[in-house]
Amino acid sequence: MASLIFTTTSTTAGDYIRSFADLRRQTRLLSGCAASNAQLGRRLPGVVRASRSSPRLNGRKLRVAVVGGGPAGGAAAEALAKGGVETILIERKLDNCKPCGGAIPLCMVDEFGLPLDLIDRRVTKYISMVRREVLDAYLRGRAADAGASVINGLFLRLDQPEGPGGSYKIHYNEYSAGGRGVGERRTEEVDAVVGADGANSRVAKSIGAGEYDYLIAFQERVQIPEVKMEYCKERAEMYVGDDVSPDFYGWVFPKCDHVAVGTGTLTHKTDIKKFQAATRLRAKNKIEGGTIIRFEAHPIPDHPRPRRVLGRVALVGDAAGYVTRCSGEGIYFAAKSGRMCAEAIVKGSENGTRMIDESDLRKYLEKFDRMYWPTFKALDVLKNVFYRSNATREALVEMCADEYVQKMTFDSYLYKRVVPGNPLDDLKLAVNTVASLSESKCLEQ
Amino acid sequence: MALSSFPAPPTFFSALSSNHHRLPSSVKPQFHPLALPKRNLSLFLARSTDRLAAATTVDETLEKKGDPPPLELEEKKPQQHRHHHQVVLDSDGGSAAEARVVQFKDPRWVGGTWDLKQFSKDGKTDWDAVIHAEARRRKWLEDYPEASSNDEPVLFDTSIIPWWAWIKSFHLPEAEKLNGRAAMIGFFMAYFVDSLTGMGLVDQMGNVFCKTLLFLAVMWVLLIRENKDIEKLKNLFEETTLYDKQWQATWQEDASKDSNK
Repeated sequence: MASLIFTTTSTTAGDYIRSFADLRRQTRLLSGCAASNAQLGRRLPGVVRASRSSPRLNGRKLRVAVVGGGPAGGAAAEALAKGGVETILIERKLDNCKPCGGAIPLCMVDEFGLPLDLIDRRVTKYISMVRREVLDAYLRGRAADAGASVINGLFLRLDQPEGPGGSYKIHYNEYSAGGRGVGERRTEEVDAVVGADGANSRVAKSIGAGEYDYLIAFQERVQIPEVKMEYCKERAEMYVGDDVSPDFYGWVFPKCDHVAVGTGTLTHKTDIKKFQAATRLRAKNKIEGGTIIRFEAHPIPDHPRPRRVLGRVALVGDAAGYVTRCSGEGIYFAAKSGRMCAEAIVKGSENGTRMIDESDLRKYLEKFDRMYWPTFKALDVLKNVFYRSNATREALVEMCADEYVQKMTFDSYLYKRVVPGNPLDDLKLAVNTVASLSESKCLEQ
Repeated sequence: MALSSFPAPPTFFSALSSNHHRLPSSVKPQFHPLALPKRNLSLFLARSTDRLAAATTVDETLEKKGDPPPLELEEKKPQQHRHHHQVVLDSDGGSAAEARVVQFKDPRWVGGTWDLKQFSKDGKTDWDAVIHAEARRRKWLEDYPEASSNDEPVLFDTSIIPWWAWIKSFHLPEAEKLNGRAAMIGFFMAYFVDSLTGMGLVDQMGNVFCKTLLFLAVMWVLLIRENKDIEKLKNLFEETTLYDKQWQATWQEDASKDSNK
């Protein structure tokens, strides 16, 4: 169960919170679920925000622009188009190979009906490895099939609507098919915008969504000899340690015919090359004799942006900052949030016949937060407890050998919910965790 | 017994007890690479020359930072591990990994775990020695990380060491120190309250306010060992609630907008 706890942010804040300060119009001190739920409930009677009273659109369907054609954008565009909304999907690079670990959970394959040939490798039956260019293209293809128009263009900026019922004007550079060059300036008038354009989202800038802390993930694609590739085929490795990353992990993930070796950090970005060298060292036995065919880096959000919805513009996926701590998982949450946002728009507009407003988009936020907050918070706690020092990391590695832990972890990864287990086993696990951490601490001289 | 287990919770906060688990000075972790048996050192040198040879054929297009002096320096002073990291990066150019031979070696570390038979003292296992050996191994690995290997996996689990060995080595001394502190504070607090209010010790125990003071004193002694612990505790508390605040940010705005209507 999510618990929406409101707290004052003006006092003892560290540097993180200062960036939120300018978005506060007024600090409030409310506590407890009841107060916040009452707040949300109180809005409906008396305050004209519900879309039910929104005007019907005469003779036309609701028009929505989805900016960004990754998993979030593709899923959003498909759900919008299926719901009878006129959708345009703007993607700047249709063959983009987004630098990414590429791990998706089994529930994503089920929920989004992904064909099995999309998946390069299966690491245990829960985790599937995909190439982003393949996955993204597939989801965009589905959106196009559902009726969305996919445009190859670079989003520049959007203009706020003139009045309460006015439309958003989006400016973008459209690239002609196959042609290179600057592209032609175009504008479109739309009723709502879904910002799915990733960690450096321009839509987020347009609505003043605020900044978030981000990690830098650095990755090298390594071509290794066939013999070694056999070993890596069904295995994903994660390395933890101060040498590899002070607040994240290093990884070796198998791709179709090569492996991706990388690491990430939030607090020590300037040392990323050093961490990468250490990761390569740790993986030496697996990748010795291989050649680096490519290296790439990308930011990973650490937490959601202060503002995720403004007017009829909503952010989804990495643009909103839906990436778990500790594991850095974002593909599933991107696709899910894209779909949820689209479904909220479809519902609020009654299949594209009415105008929507901010309250409809907030419904998507509420649904997403309620459903996935426990997962995000659990991973935050895991990170705070287990990524603190080498001692705690040793304890983590030891805990992972435990069968009950593996079962619980995989089950919650699979279902994306914090699954309650057997209370007696949970108690044993708690005692073991405490003991492990304590012993590890003692051994840390 | 109950008090001796008290030290356990604060040890999770690396902020607090960083200096608290010192080994007795007679057993200092002095694992110096030059202390290794001679054959390891020569092996190290041999591999280093290999690396030098490899370095000269580095694919210049990929990484372009290496030059001979750091490598030679590395040979002469193997304990500068930070330099070593730099070298691994520089020399590795076209190939993804280079040899790194400084490996943890100990006659008692057999097949990925400690051979308890070699730790016997008077017929029983000397758990203290096991604990110290493992602590040394971990310190070594921090300075000289190794490549992981599924052929020689690490099988050691700290839970094979019985709980009383941990208590004897670590928790008891700490408990003694903390109890001593609490006792001194308690004595002076009792005296102070007595001189102010005239309540004797027995009367104080019956008073809620005094009992609260006692509780606070105990908590203070447990949680705050150094001056900087106060800051650390505050930061820790903020840390636990920070993530929640970051997620609520978008709702805060909605709430305040709402109140303005």
